[in-house]
Amino acid sequence: MCFKHRTLGQGGVIGLHSGPHNQTDGILIRNVGWNLIGPIAKCMQSCAVGSEKERGCLQLLNALIESCNPKEILLGILEQIDEAAGDHISRIILPFLQPLQIVLLKLGNKKSYSVGLSLSTIHSRLSNLPVPYTAQQMQEDKYSLCQCCLALVQFAQPFIDIVSQSIDLSKEADTEEMRKELLTFCFSCLKYPLLNAPLNTLPEDEGDHPLRVFAKQIMGFLVSLGESLPRTFVQRGHSAPTNDTEGSISGNEVCSVESLACLSYLLFVQHIGIDSFPFVFGPSFLVKSNMGHVAVLLKRTEESLLSKGLDLLEHSLLRVDNGSLPEDVLEVLTANQVLQDLVKVMTLCPIEHLRKKSLATLQLVIDKFCVEGKYKLFRCLLKISSHAGVEGYIIHNIKNQIDAALKTNPQNKWFLGTRLTPLLLSALSLSEGAETDLLQMSDRIMASLNLLRYLVIKDDDNETGVWSELAKIEQDFLKPLHTGLNMSRAHYDAEIRSTHEKKRGSHSGKPLCTVTAGGNKLPDMTPEMQLQVLQSALFTFDLMESVLARVEELIEVKLKSAPEGKIGSS
Amino acid sequence: MIGDKVSVHYTGWLLDGTKFDSSRDRKDKFTFDLGKGQVIKAWDIAVATMKVGEVCRIICKPEYAYGASGSPPKIPPNAVLVFEVELFDFQGEDLSTDEDGGIIRRIRVKGEGYSKPNEGSVVELWFQGSHDGHVFDERDLRFEVGEGEGLGIPPGVETALQQMEKGEEAVLYLKPKYGFNSAGYEPFHVPPNAELQYEIKLKSFEKAKESWEMNSEEKLEQGALVKERGTEYFKAGRYRQAVIQYKKIIQWLEHESGLAEEETAKSKCLLLAASLNLAACYLKLGEHRPALDNCHKALEFDTNNEKGLFRRAEAYMGVNELELAKDDLMKVINLYPGNKAARAQLTQCQQRIRDQHQREKKIYANMFQRLAEKEEKESTKVAKEQLPSDDVEMSEEPEGRQPSDASRTVTGEM
Repeated sequence: MCFKHRTLGQGGVIGLHSGPHNQTDGILIRNVGWNLIGPIAKCMQSCAVGSEKERGCLQLLNALIESCNPKEILLGILEQIDEAAGDHISRIILPFLQPLQIVLLKLGNKKSYSVGLSLSTIHSRLSNLPVPYTAQQMQEDKYSLCQCCLALVQFAQPFIDIVSQSIDLSKEADTEEMRKELLTFCFSCLKYPLLNAPLNTLPEDEGDHPLRVFAKQIMGFLVSLGESLPRTFVQRGHSAPTNDTEGSISGNEVCSVESLACLSYLLFVQHIGIDSFPFVFGPSFLVKSNMGHVAVLLKRTEESLLSKGLDLLEHSLLRVDNGSLPEDVLEVLTANQVLQDLVKVMTLCPIEHLRKKSLATLQLVIDKFCVEGKYKLFRCLLKISSHAGVEGYIIHNIKNQIDAALKTNPQNKWFLGTRLTPLLLSALSLSEGAETDLLQMSDRIMASLNLLRYLVIKDDDNETGVWSELAKIEQDFLKPLHTGLNMSRAHYDAEIRSTHEKKRGSHSGKPLCTVTAGGNKLPDMTPEMQLQVLQSALFTFDLMESVLARVEELIEVKLKSAPEGKIGSS
Repeated sequence: MIGDKVSVHYTGWLLDGTKFDSSRDRKDKFTFDLGKGQVIKAWDIAVATMKVGEVCRIICKPEYAYGASGSPPKIPPNAVLVFEVELFDFQGEDLSTDEDGGIIRRIRVKGEGYSKPNEGSVVELWFQGSHDGHVFDERDLRFEVGEGEGLGIPPGVETALQQMEKGEEAVLYLKPKYGFNSAGYEPFHVPPNAELQYEIKLKSFEKAKESWEMNSEEKLEQGALVKERGTEYFKAGRYRQAVIQYKKIIQWLEHESGLAEEETAKSKCLLLAASLNLAACYLKLGEHRPALDNCHKALEFDTNNEKGLFRRAEAYMGVNELELAKDDLMKVINLYPGNKAARAQLTQCQQRIRDQHQREKKIYANMFQRLAEKEEKESTKVAKEQLPSDDVEMSEEPEGRQPSDASRTVTGEM
């Protein structure tokens, strides 16, 4: 033993390699040889990749595998892997994979537990590595994560083969056990690294990048293991939020909601594994089922997950024809969650392209729903959004729907007549009456005014019910808006005057607060800039007031010109 | 029938002969729930007409398949699809939570909508229960899911109802476990361990709306109704059901903003009543913590509420916070000198405080006494003979002489 240590330390590997041929040494090594794995690992860490010395170490390792008890070698290797940390993780895992595989294959009939243990040990080590995000990071592969993933596929292949070649799993308890272990491994790979990994194809790239290859392999494994993708998708997808313990994989928590979300993403967005997925599911059913997965993804804040969530939502919606998504999709619990998160991404996410994308996706959602669905969607969105811009956008959409109803479909009972009234009233209102912050809410108010103007001009026959509700609209919307405008204008006028005075007076006034954006401190506002801001607020009020005046004028004209009884009937 | 689990093998082609999908190639039979919109329309319609063992060819126009959108990557827009389908098997849907085949449903007429009753929903239904071809129960009934037990409705039916849609008509096959169990049901002459069959028509149900679906008027209106229902339950001594009702009010109105002045008053009034009544329910149920929470809530609306203070005192007594209870009771008596119950309660409370003092005194006295004894014991360390029970424990001490001593004492006692 001491001898071995010494030789290793000195790098005298070749002498060692011939060691086991000696008779007495042979017995010694058979019994305590596994103790050498630690020193070998240390030695390998210290030498360069592909060097003579490293090769020597591997040869030594192989020699040990030949002569020692495989169970002890297995534990020895796993111990080394388990202790790996930081930059060393891949440095240890990569060279040990092949020896580990050989040992496991030598284990005979009861290897499933050991295979599972090995895979979970390796996976838990690997998941400490950061997942590359940009194409460049992936190419660089600083922590050799991509390399490890591909090597891991090679590693798992023979075990996958054992399962897929088995004829009757119910008779081979160990193989059935192995199948479960491998499934667990595949699902955990879906969660890490694939959930975070960029999986879009690179336009300029000919082939696939490593993580995409990895994704394909893993999906291939799932199929080879006899895991029915549609069954996993349907059963799990439906019970995802409740964490029910039912499903094709014998109930235990083999796959997390994140893995399933990733599975869905690979299937529907990247079309990986779609060949093993049936093409008979109804499109709205797919949307319903995917809502849960989208909710899981949008709940997170990482860019890669959010964009996956948006992509998945988009791609499931694209399969549905416009105006054909049934309203009952909204009754799926997670749909509500998805809408809220969508609005959240739209308004709060710091990443611009995601904000834009989420807005586009919202429009897609609106377009796909049937008329009743649209109606309920708008009501729901107005309740949950609490952001003037989004609300303005929805009100604009409401206007479009009313327009479509007036022009093409007078039988539309959702965007005309009595059903429309509550929606109209919630669109034409000020949340806090005259005290509403008009500047903050300007997007919404302008959209509301626009809607009202449109109704007054177009709807002569009171099909939308706007004339019957006029009194309430005036009371709840127009009047407080007038008051609000007067108050705000007076306030800002006064503010401008005082700023002017300040400007004439001292210039060295200390700013009350500082603003930082993106970590940079913005320069203090000069009185000129303050004036500009105040002025632009006044312009907004002007604009609002002029539209308001125009609307009221129109109402008056219409009321006068219309024959008594026509307006306010129906 | 609709809702059945159907398993088929199929192959699908585009019109130009391209095969886009085949369950045979995957060697995996495709199973789905019929008539639920899980599959493309053509399938829901066509497969429903098939017999077991039948092989048929379905040609689907795009509007019955993937329409103008298609389904990337394999199905182009506006594609006509051709399927060859072989029906292998269909069976009623298993609704039991353990999937043990204990509750099998077959749908005769599909209901509408996606929503289903939940626990606490009021359902209106017609049903007919039979056993061995003998009808034992046939009724039109309106009841709240979760309280069927008292009405002679077996748990399996209640479970199934929560999976049914409005207007749905179905047959249920129940194993005894989900029926009347090994006890049977005497009023209907149902023998022990009977397998039951129920025909059910769910006429309508009233589910708690999602709160965003209701406007404030609806919430107030429903709130008043729900409060009445809760009170009925309370009077009938069914506190759990009452709790469900009152909780709805809190859920609906607690965070409602933007109410008109008149509405705000109403809402406050309802919330106050709901919290107070919830507190009363929980007191009856002996759950003092939630009772306490609700009293706090009620007193936020009205700091000097007589019932609120009184019930909080009761709850405090329940969790043995006697001093706090006393404070509340004193306050009640000061504010409402006519409240006799409070006086009685106060006497009781003070009595308990005294009792407690007594008990504490005793305990502490004992404690000191024991401490003193212990000290004494340790300091002298000579007097080793103690109570016999101590001796048995001592036998485990490693000191060699002790065991025999102990055994002697024990035998001596016997």
